[in-house]
Amino acid sequence: MPRKSALTPYLFLAPALIAIAVFVLYPIFAVVYYSFTDFDISTPPVWVGLKNYQHLFSEPLFGQALLHSFIYLIATPILIILSIALAIIVNRKLPGINFFRGLYYIPAISGSIAVGIIWRWLFDAQGGLLNGVLMWLGAIKEPVQWLTEPALTLPIAISLTVWMGVGYYMMVFLAGLQNIPEDLYDAAMIDGCNSWQKHLHVSIPGLRPQITLVAVISSLAAIEVYNEILVLFGQLGGILNSGVTMVFYLWREAFRLNHAGYASAIAIVLLVITLGFSILNMRLLERGSESD
Amino acid sequence: MELSHASISPLHTAALRRRALSNALWYALLILIAAGMVLPFLWMFLTSFKGPNDVIFSVPPQLIPKDPTFANYVRVWNNLPLPNFFLNSIVVAGTTVIFNVLITSLAAYPFAKMKFRGRDAIFYGLLALYIVPVQLTYIPSYVLAVKVFHYYNHISALIFPSLANVFNIFLMRQAFKSVPDDLIDAGRVDGASELRIWWDILLPVVRPSLATVAIITFVNQWNDFLWPSLMLQSMDRKTLTVGLLALQGMFSSDFRGVAAGVTMTVIPILVFFVALQKYFVRGLTGAVKG
Repeated sequence: MPRKSALTPYLFLAPALIAIAVFVLYPIFAVVYYSFTDFDISTPPVWVGLKNYQHLFSEPLFGQALLHSFIYLIATPILIILSIALAIIVNRKLPGINFFRGLYYIPAISGSIAVGIIWRWLFDAQGGLLNGVLMWLGAIKEPVQWLTEPALTLPIAISLTVWMGVGYYMMVFLAGLQNIPEDLYDAAMIDGCNSWQKHLHVSIPGLRPQITLVAVISSLAAIEVYNEILVLFGQLGGILNSGVTMVFYLWREAFRLNHAGYASAIAIVLLVITLGFSILNMRLLERGSESD
Repeated sequence: MELSHASISPLHTAALRRRALSNALWYALLILIAAGMVLPFLWMFLTSFKGPNDVIFSVPPQLIPKDPTFANYVRVWNNLPLPNFFLNSIVVAGTTVIFNVLITSLAAYPFAKMKFRGRDAIFYGLLALYIVPVQLTYIPSYVLAVKVFHYYNHISALIFPSLANVFNIFLMRQAFKSVPDDLIDAGRVDGASELRIWWDILLPVVRPSLATVAIITFVNQWNDFLWPSLMLQSMDRKTLTVGLLALQGMFSSDFRGVAAGVTMTVIPILVFFVALQKYFVRGLTGAVKG
């Protein structure tokens, strides 16, 4: 049969492989090379050996950025707990429950920039709803400068991440809950579980694949956070660099300060961290599928 | 019979009453959470209609405008090319979806249904690339955009790097694997080319997965911000996310204007979501199973 030529599968693969080679594979090699050079994007790179890495590990701001990205990981357990709770709440068969599910999903679909702008104004010292409500309730007497307090930078950004993400992950967990067979709950009731224990012993183990998935997605997103910081705190990344994360630092060095060589070294560290994460996650995934 | 009915009845009403009470509590909880999710949007929406005589900040907070106006919308509309932002976002997301879905499902077919040299090596190589953070590629991609492809400050700079991605190939491969081999063999016996088999037999069968991939891709492209913000400089070439940030900068002390701009961008997204809600949810759950 002439049409079943040995070339056919490769022809099917070609467009995708070419696109991925140009926009993923080549950039990896290029960024490794740039990380050993002095490079400002417009003029050709100049080889400097390990200089960028030496600079990186002696630069306190890099350590800070690394720390901030790891602190951001706290978003993951918060998101998992809240969105499982939310999924259990909306899993009840009540008239109009779909309407509520839709409402909870609104922050998740509106896009991080639109939602971030709303969040930024909510926390605004002069015009923000938060200060208005808290003063009305008598919790504070003077307006609080939420956005210029370094200790609050990351908590406010994380609260935005959680608020945006919780509806999305709720849907993931809801789909998981609906796959758990009803008779497992009946069995738990017969064994004398109350409704709390029922969720602890049936829902949580039943949601294991979804928990693993959400842990992977949300922790990678946390390590790579950028949008929330920029939209809430602007190009400075918060007072005293209090919101500068790995990707924010990379972006600023590469595209604001024209230190593309140095920023490439940051990118390599980011790659190593995500690699480590992925190996960890794969271990977890394997363990998850063994128990299925 | 009569007796047992009479004796069950009070118990029955007690159970009903307990159920009604627990439902009422449940609704109270649902409404409380809804307030937390929706109130910031509602505040933004109402503020966008506030006139110059309405205060933004007060104790207690004033939500409803007393002096309602459309002036904020007019001001934003005149100062920012919002139709351009929308059009650019639609063109970028739409074009990406069409090409990406075609290219990734084309690549997924041999991975799922053909035997050839290097299949597993190529596939696992691709999976390894999946973990590369996209931000790592931005510096070389920027150089490519400026020096090789010359699409800096043009929306094609957003489309080309998204033509294919590993995740979608993986999802489509899973979908094709579930198609029975008999269907494909029948096509081969009829003398159809592999391209025909892919287009006429496989794609119609996996239409739900295609919808999933299309929606995930569309939403990702629509919400993408960092790369578009690097590429798009002229105001009329910006996409919605980049344009929104420009709005925030331009109207930095004019919250009524910002509110109007954000409202104008969020409402079409919500309408789109409500219209396609079924597919969104299926897209999500499909992604988990894949």
